[in-house]
Amino acid sequence: MDALLLRSLQDYVIDTFSQDHWLRVCQSAGIAAETFEPMLRYEPGLADRIAGVAAGVLGRPVEAIWEDVGIYLVTNPDREGVRRLLRFGGMSYSEFLYSLVEMPGRARLAMPDLDLPEVTLEELAADRFRICCQSHLRGTQRVLAGVLTAMADDYGALCVIEPEAGGCTTISILDSRHASGRQFALATPER
Amino acid sequence: MQAKPPTHRIELDTAALAHFMPMHLLLDAEGRALSYGPTLARVLQDDAVPGARFEDLFEVRAPWGATTVQEVVARAGSRFRLLTRHGGTGLRGLGLKEAPDGNILLNLSFGIDLISSVRDFALTDADFAATDLAIELLYLAEANAAVTRELRGLNLRLEGARVAAEEEAMTDPLTGLRNRRAADLVLDRLCAARAGFGLLHMDLDYFKSVNDTLGHAAGDFVLANVGRILRDQLRSEDVAARVGGDEFVVLVVGRSDPKTLQTIADRIIARINQPMEFEGQACRISASIGIVRSSDHLNPEAGMLMAAADRALYAAKHAGRGRAVLLAARDAAEEAG
Repeated sequence: MDALLLRSLQDYVIDTFSQDHWLRVCQSAGIAAETFEPMLRYEPGLADRIAGVAAGVLGRPVEAIWEDVGIYLVTNPDREGVRRLLRFGGMSYSEFLYSLVEMPGRARLAMPDLDLPEVTLEELAADRFRICCQSHLRGTQRVLAGVLTAMADDYGALCVIEPEAGGCTTISILDSRHASGRQFALATPER
Repeated sequence: MQAKPPTHRIELDTAALAHFMPMHLLLDAEGRALSYGPTLARVLQDDAVPGARFEDLFEVRAPWGATTVQEVVARAGSRFRLLTRHGGTGLRGLGLKEAPDGNILLNLSFGIDLISSVRDFALTDADFAATDLAIELLYLAEANAAVTRELRGLNLRLEGARVAAEEEAMTDPLTGLRNRRAADLVLDRLCAARAGFGLLHMDLDYFKSVNDTLGHAAGDFVLANVGRILRDQLRSEDVAARVGGDEFVVLVVGRSDPKTLQTIADRIIARINQPMEFEGQACRISASIGIVRSSDHLNPEAGMLMAAADRALYAAKHAGRGRAVLLAARDAAEEAG
């Protein structure tokens, strides 16, 4: 999990700010490597530590940085695969929310040793949900909030997404067909 | 005696059938289509008309030799494989002959053709029953492709890092020349290949006094300059290495002519003799070179050649420095005897 978040953070900083900003983050953090590999393992908690350093270098709160990373993962055209895998979750935004509970299991199908945090979902009222995920990383909740925000746009749903204390986030769907949303076909687009 | 479990009969209308089995085909006892599930209708396209005959819709792949639906259901037990006549999509299915009226119900599914069918017929979630694992399969195929792509990227990056590390392990950082390890490897390889080559062993003259009077920075500057001179004077296939403080080895590949080797060595010395200026101070050095040829030795071997080159270098130093001495075949023979 650290590896995935570290690589996402790295790509986000380089694409949104610059290579130079990322080098400054690495230098300030006192790490030798300037590249994190999503398929390798890093010490647990490293992602939170590096994000804390990035917050200092970029002059933004660490929560905002993680939320932006979540949005970046879904909306960046080079990361189309992430959006597609999430859209397989269902035909509507609420179906997608329910599918998040299955996500760790789905991820394990493709990569057995990937330790995505377990996700639980409660339907508090009609179109009002609470999603909780237990992760050793503080950043996970905010990345998820960013992903939820970007996926709401993708489905064309109008939502209020509020991170709470304790790793939970509430989602209120105000209008599930607010906009037309982005196209999604089951077949992989031709490259 | 064990009680027989009770049998329940249910009736489904066409709409319910379509909902539960979007890929079903209901045929009458003669094998004519009564109704199509909506997804199957998309796959069959214009062929999906009421009353169409089974044989006109499908080619039977298994059971082998069957053509009619009655044969399929009778011979296959209940499992079979079909190919649509329109578009050649592979399907597999289950069949059931209904008792009183003799209608035949087939429930079909995409086998391994799922991914191409989804593309060809622009199928969506709504085209599959909620119980169907098709979406999971598509998800898995895509997730797998993403993981593979990521691993391939990782492999390329690791390979790049390995090549860079190897290059670094073979390079002398100050001069940009190869190091002793690299020179030893190439020398061993040339000896093993019995290639003809010249070996130049070079030692800088007066380098120590530059270091002592002008400092280490000036010394480093001189060494870097010598590195540049050697790179300029040699071809890309030759190998120049810094093997000690002010000691260099040059392997001139494919050249055995004494005059050629002597010319190369003289040219290098002439360039090194030109004063180099470091922070306004002139650094004057020279170089002595001992030359040996692999062809002068019956069974050239790295240690023996290096020892001979060392003797040639000693002779050059002894003859007054700033010159190159080739240890000729005659001398090599004497040394062997």
